Amino acid sequence: MPRSIWNGTLAFGLVRVPVKLYSATESKRIPLRERHLSDGAAIEHRRLCVKEGKEVPYSEIVKGYEVSAGAYVVLTKEEIAAAEGPEAHVVEIEHFVSREEIDPVYYERAYYLGPGKLGEEPYRLLHEALSSSDRVGIGRFVFHNKAHLVAVRALGDVIVLHTMRFADELVPEGELEVPKPDKTPSELELDTAELLIGQLDSKFEPESYANSYRDAVLAMIEKKARGEAIEVPESRQPTPEGDLLSALQASLEERAPRRRRAKETVRPKSTPRPGAGPARPARTAKDPTRAPASAKDSRSPAKSARGRTRGDS
Amino acid sequence: MARPLWSGSLSFGLVNVPVALYSAVRDRDVHFNQLHAPDGSPVETRRVCAHEQREVPWEEIAKGYELDDGRWVLLSDSDLDSAAPRKSHTIDIEAFVEEREIDPLYLGRPYLLVPESESAARAYALLGGAMRGSGKVALGRFVMRAKEHLLSIRPREQLLMLTTMRFHDEVRPKAEIAQELGATEPSPEEVENAIAIIAELEVPFDPSSYRDEHRAHLEAIIKRKRKGQKISVPRATKPTEPTPAAPDLMGALEESLARIRGETLAKSAEGTKGATPARKKAKKSRASTPAKRTSGSSAPRS
Repeated sequence: MPRSIWNGTLAFGLVRVPVKLYSATESKRIPLRERHLSDGAAIEHRRLCVKEGKEVPYSEIVKGYEVSAGAYVVLTKEEIAAAEGPEAHVVEIEHFVSREEIDPVYYERAYYLGPGKLGEEPYRLLHEALSSSDRVGIGRFVFHNKAHLVAVRALGDVIVLHTMRFADELVPEGELEVPKPDKTPSELELDTAELLIGQLDSKFEPESYANSYRDAVLAMIEKKARGEAIEVPESRQPTPEGDLLSALQASLEERAPRRRRAKETVRPKSTPRPGAGPARPARTAKDPTRAPASAKDSRSPAKSARGRTRGDS
Repeated sequence: MARPLWSGSLSFGLVNVPVALYSAVRDRDVHFNQLHAPDGSPVETRRVCAHEQREVPWEEIAKGYELDDGRWVLLSDSDLDSAAPRKSHTIDIEAFVEEREIDPLYLGRPYLLVPESESAARAYALLGGAMRGSGKVALGRFVMRAKEHLLSIRPREQLLMLTTMRFHDEVRPKAEIAQELGATEPSPEEVENAIAIIAELEVPFDPSSYRDEHRAHLEAIIKRKRKGQKISVPRATKPTEPTPAAPDLMGALEESLARIRGETLAKSAEGTKGATPARKKAKKSRASTPAKRTSGSSAPRS
């Protein structure tokens, strides 16, 4: 059983659920430390008093809030804690909402809630009610000296708590300078791009994405440890933004044979039969390598796939 | 304008769009500085080489990885890039999925993608337009700050939003929590009452109606202290001891319902005073269309 990182109460009406909080995620970062480049020695972080220029023990450090340049108001730990109010160890559920209404940008960190001491019965009750009503509880609590908006929902057999961002933490888009496009995309370009999206359409299967970078870095470290020089390959240059449409068409073309088996339904859409109506005729007409292939497609997809492979090699 | 956190190329098929990445969120917390108590002067953190016992400038610091035998391998940024040169400079869109298939457990930090030139803006607008048309979000991967991220991209207002996501092995199994649960199932009456409470407290999600009151309290305390006023520190309660579960769950449920309904009655009797706007809206729309309430909601996305 993992260790809980917070114990408290979740209040829902007058029902109080003793709960424990567990981290639902962990970062799998490669552990890298700061070292001195010339001798490889460890780098220590030392706290220096700016005035005296000497190291300061932790016991002599207080927290100050800068009210104007160089002027600080010092607060004690107790004074900072006073802002938490008396209900600091209670997650108070204020409202319930539908999950679809929550813009994903608000989700911050995820935790699992487990039942605390004597909490099993009310925990199961809340879980069952959240799960049958398909609603998410919205509440607040103070954790690590910071107030969090939280969302509480049922997932499988357990209850998940997400800390949420407050609305004023979002950066308005208007604050960023954004270059205006020199030309708006054409209908044909949009249609072609949508076809490409269709070709790449899939289900979200998180297991199918492995973190290969970690392995690559570890392999590189091993090589370096054996004294081999590291080759720094040239990074691929972005393709020139010339003809967007032909790049899109070439992308469709590149994907099509590979994706055929997995996505039968996509193929016919992306290669309209000649004379099958005005669906999207310009694309095939513009691309001479494509037209014969799609004509064959309409008769025998399997045969034309082989034909194309030969042609390409 | 802030400096971008990453810049590179967004690659969609054979179309490459040079883009820069900016944080979509900012820290609004009250931050404190460390001060030296005796003289009140600021404390600074210095990096010191443990061997030479002297301060080391930033340029002389490398990233080190400790081998099993205790030796260290020093890595430069370009070494780290070389492990995955393409991913360090390119966001490859690999797939498109329905947004609702992505469980929020996987979501990390949100960023805004900005095209780097006028011609990039055209390809950017094309991808955005096509994504709006398809209603899908893009999935891809890239490397930022020596870590590979799974990511999703979706159109927001005018811009594309990139959200880093956790890899599957970064999400802990929940089975261990589920094991803690006993076999006693709640009774149907209890569940019914709990669902009734949920229905009474249901509102459309309106993020702007929740303010960080803790931050406001902290700011008020700082203001008072600045004026030389005394801060009353409440006596520390013993918070770790959880309140024992209500011995009578059913009683607590019924009492909650009675109170919530009583409040609602009282509020509607005395007019609009005290009722939050969101709450009223919810009541009204629930009365008219109980099932399809979300369509008329004030969700932030259009």
